[in-house]
Amino acid sequence: MSISTRLPGPRRLFASATAAVLLMTAGCSGGGPDSPDPSQKATRLSLSIQGAPASFEPTRIDAGQSSYVWRALYDTLLHIDNDGRLQPHAAQRYEYSADRRTLTLTLRKGMTFSSGAPVNAAAVKATLERIRDTPGPNQANIADAVASVEAPDDLTVVVGLKRPSGSLLWNLAGVNGVIADPATMARASTATDPVGSGPYTLDKGATVNGSDYTLKKRKGHWNADAYPFETVRVRVMGDRAAVVNALRAGELNAGSVDPTQVGPLRSAGLRISPVKAFTVGNLVLADRAGTSLEPLGDVRVRRAINMSFDRTKLVAAFLKGVGVPSTQLFNPKGQAYDAQLDKAYPFDIAAARKLMAEAGYAQGFPVKMPSFVTTKPFEPVIAQSLAAIGIKVTWEAVPIQRQATTLAAAKYPMYFVIYGLDTDAVLTTLYTMPGTPTNPFKSSDPDLTALIGQANRAGDPAGAGAAYRGINKFFVDNAWFAPLMDIGVTWVTGKGVKHLGDGSSTAIDIRNFGTAG
Amino acid sequence: MLLYVARRLATGLVLALLVTLITFLLLAPSFDAIVGNRLGAGATAESIRAMKTQMGLDRPVLAQYSDWLARVARGDLGDSFFTGERVGHTVGQHLGVTMSIVLVTLALSVAFSVALGVTAAWRGGIADRVVQAVSLTGHLVPNLLVAIALVYLLSIRLGLLPATGFTPLTDDPATWARSIVIPVTALLIASMAGLTAQIRGAMTDELRKDYVRTLRTRGIPARSIILRHALRNASGPALTVLSFEFIAMLGGALIIEKVFAIPGFGSYAFDASLQGDVPVIMGITLFAVLLVVVVNLAVDLVNGWLNPKARIL
Repeated sequence: MSISTRLPGPRRLFASATAAVLLMTAGCSGGGPDSPDPSQKATRLSLSIQGAPASFEPTRIDAGQSSYVWRALYDTLLHIDNDGRLQPHAAQRYEYSADRRTLTLTLRKGMTFSSGAPVNAAAVKATLERIRDTPGPNQANIADAVASVEAPDDLTVVVGLKRPSGSLLWNLAGVNGVIADPATMARASTATDPVGSGPYTLDKGATVNGSDYTLKKRKGHWNADAYPFETVRVRVMGDRAAVVNALRAGELNAGSVDPTQVGPLRSAGLRISPVKAFTVGNLVLADRAGTSLEPLGDVRVRRAINMSFDRTKLVAAFLKGVGVPSTQLFNPKGQAYDAQLDKAYPFDIAAARKLMAEAGYAQGFPVKMPSFVTTKPFEPVIAQSLAAIGIKVTWEAVPIQRQATTLAAAKYPMYFVIYGLDTDAVLTTLYTMPGTPTNPFKSSDPDLTALIGQANRAGDPAGAGAAYRGINKFFVDNAWFAPLMDIGVTWVTGKGVKHLGDGSSTAIDIRNFGTAG
Repeated sequence: MLLYVARRLATGLVLALLVTLITFLLLAPSFDAIVGNRLGAGATAESIRAMKTQMGLDRPVLAQYSDWLARVARGDLGDSFFTGERVGHTVGQHLGVTMSIVLVTLALSVAFSVALGVTAAWRGGIADRVVQAVSLTGHLVPNLLVAIALVYLLSIRLGLLPATGFTPLTDDPATWARSIVIPVTALLIASMAGLTAQIRGAMTDELRKDYVRTLRTRGIPARSIILRHALRNASGPALTVLSFEFIAMLGGALIIEKVFAIPGFGSYAFDASLQGDVPVIMGITLFAVLLVVVVNLAVDLVNGWLNPKARIL
């Protein structure tokens, strides 16, 4: 009897498995599950962000990409438009007293929270006081400036200040200016489902916290005309390749990409909108008194460090042109910026070495610098540039979770960081507030203090321009920092959507996007 | 058998205790940094100290761990430091997403690997060489590369499948199925490569044994010889490989989750680790250890059922 070599069993299994795969793809229609209906593209914004929002609780919201979500859910008292100008918003009027120690805000009538409760001065008072009194990332700015908050009537908020503050108005257009519902803001649920008066509410059914947020426009919002999109979907995509794929497949109609990824996207007919300056790569020469690294206490050494970098080549090599060489901390489109100051430190190794020798450090000196995941691409060129003037860098790895505490502990006399290009006032506060990661050695100077005071007393942001230019000049002349370049961002938008910003404002907001014909 | 299962589970609980304790001890030196992250750029030494006191992180480490253990015993894994969400709920949610991809991958892997492995072992010759070549190719080709190629072809060029995203099975089975085709395919290739080789090798050895020759001479059909006898005896090592692959996929799916923007267990664990969200990290660790214990136990029980000689009860 012959033995059958048929294998019905395995063959059947294989066939079944194949059938299962085919069934899964059966009924496939074109596009992904979120492919926007071409007729609805102009009314829907589908946008990617790189990291998940940590919390929507007012004391913990951040000014990063999570702003796309919380700025849609909350109204802010003031607003920064795409030209970088401060505008009234939920507060339709604001006015400083003559001594700049009292700020009076007048709210719009008729605003309501998504719960139906009215937005009034008591809600603003409650929110500001909560931010001021609760330890968190948003406390310092308000606690440093605000002494008292009063609500004499439903539409009037009177903020008493400890001292004049140039950054307060800008902060009220950001994380410190949100208006939360006092009845719900202390609830645990506010972290994921806040009650705000903003133009959108969270569609809880379609939202997966930490990865996918769907926002539906509220009917009858006082500022509905400023928001052309009926639905906004914000998707967390940490991987750039995923963003590119989603843009090409039509699952997103707005996202930021690496400049090297632009080619296929342009070929696919998508709109490319580079913004030349969004963040600044900055070598912070923090130990200006030479406390832990004596050479850094000499301005000639700090100036030599500035002159050891070929910033033009850095931008070309690292940023593929989406960036600007810079010796300044401030936004090139802001009032503090002075194009002349970019000539202060030309790339000149010979001149830099001469300065080092004059300061008594002809042989250079060793320095330890922290290595973060964000600094790794730049470390070789930083080390090489400094080595050209005798400064030998040893990198010490620091986990990104410890960046803030490590820098604030004044462990490193100099370090490289990438920070956002905020408004002139906010950046000035950021880089001068003592004991923080940006000023760990608590540097101060009478001339600088005088200039900051002048900016603070100006009140109206437009009137403070001269003071901030003076502050910028101080930073450059005294080489408190060695900014290397402004780093840009490349926005890609699909049909019917365009990116409206040109870098004048770095406020992150869905109003950065509009509809395109 | 019940005693055996109880003993294994008890051992697993002891293991979970040990691993979570070690995890907590490793996290403790980072409490300052974690609190600093919560406070943001304005963090100072004083504010960090105050926040640590408020969060109870300034107490002795073992006291904190004991409190956590006591809450876990009551079924409470705590709340996220950053979102305030219930850890048990969110870990379960994210685990469910990954499991829906991993289990489908493993089921298909078993089906295809058994078919290919048995074919190669039974037929030998060209069939065997082809299967070996396919298996080797699966080992060599990075599954991420395959994923990217499939996205380009099936999503971007042909628009048949989504390039990114995930729809839960409970929301819409058809959309769920479409959303996992490419991620499953990417994971399947590496899984099949290992399992096919394992099954092929084990079956080849098994089919050479005397009892198989005896069964053939008795006229037992080939299907019966393979399914009722040889495959059952050869399944032990393959099941072990399968359990390793399951565990590896839970963490290894991170890259696939990132590339496809899938809110799975791997990316959730990764993000929690970056943030230093201690309650979430502890919850994930506990879930992972218990999952490994349960999977290993299940494999042993299935192995014992398939092959009485392998029973160690």
